[in-house]
Amino acid sequence: MMFQEPPADTLNFMIAGFAVILGTIGLYITNIIMRFRKLRQDEALLDEIEAEHA
Amino acid sequence: MERRPKTLTVLSWLTSVVFIVALYLVLFWAPQEAIMGDVQRVFYFHVSAGWVGALAFLITAIVGGIYLARGEQRWDRAAMASVEIGVVFTFINIVTGSIWARPIWNTWWTWDPRLVTATIMELIYIAYIMLRQGIEDPDRRARFGAVYGIVGFISVPLTFLSIRIFRTIHPVVVGSTDPTAQGAFDMTANMRTAFFFSLFTFTLIYITLLWHRLRLQHKMEMIEERKLRALSA
Repeated sequence: MMFQEPPADTLNFMIAGFAVILGTIGLYITNIIMRFRKLRQDEALLDEIEAEHA
Repeated sequence: MERRPKTLTVLSWLTSVVFIVALYLVLFWAPQEAIMGDVQRVFYFHVSAGWVGALAFLITAIVGGIYLARGEQRWDRAAMASVEIGVVFTFINIVTGSIWARPIWNTWWTWDPRLVTATIMELIYIAYIMLRQGIEDPDRRARFGAVYGIVGFISVPLTFLSIRIFRTIHPVVVGSTDPTAQGAFDMTANMRTAFFFSLFTFTLIYITLLWHRLRLQHKMEMIEERKLRALSA
């Protein structure tokens, strides 16, 4: 134990790894929210068009 | 627009809490690996992301088979939603693997069977999404998606078994016996807890995302139908 080398200093790689994980999941969730928002806008527009024709 | 089901809202919050707990276990609960240091912590989510990718593509193949048997569009919707999530998580799996490999193998990329099969699998499912968009007729698109999803699934067991069949430097952490593997390690009790909790967390994330994505797909189709009706009126 006395002569055992310390673990390699790989903290930066760990941070990069978690940045990729959290960033990618975050981006995907944002993408889904944006698509929902766009659909709501389209739906509102369709409601208006249908109300005009009614 | 339909209101979000209460169960989905609860599931989303629960998933967020479970994910925070998983982060705590991985970053603080599990001990630092004796040789690799902190980068080994990426392993917990790296494997979990790979698991979600495989699970998502398995679900795609299963719902593809159901679509071919029943011809109901909702199964095609599930296949598309599942593939999209699978592609996102396989991407995470490949990139985090590369980040781990840099200090451990001294390279970002090597033509190892696992890395190659995983990348081919990812490309197969990216092609699935791209090719679907080129088919206008919904029935043809769904049939194509179902057959492609079933045939494409061959890449999943091939990727999983690649480190067990071929000579590779990629570690088999669970049940490893290969002395040529570089970066293998034995898990302590706390590491195992963090590992299995991560697998559970990512499975929960998959279920939650799939539900949201299914609702999105359903809405997209409804709006598309309304647009066509408005244009033809």
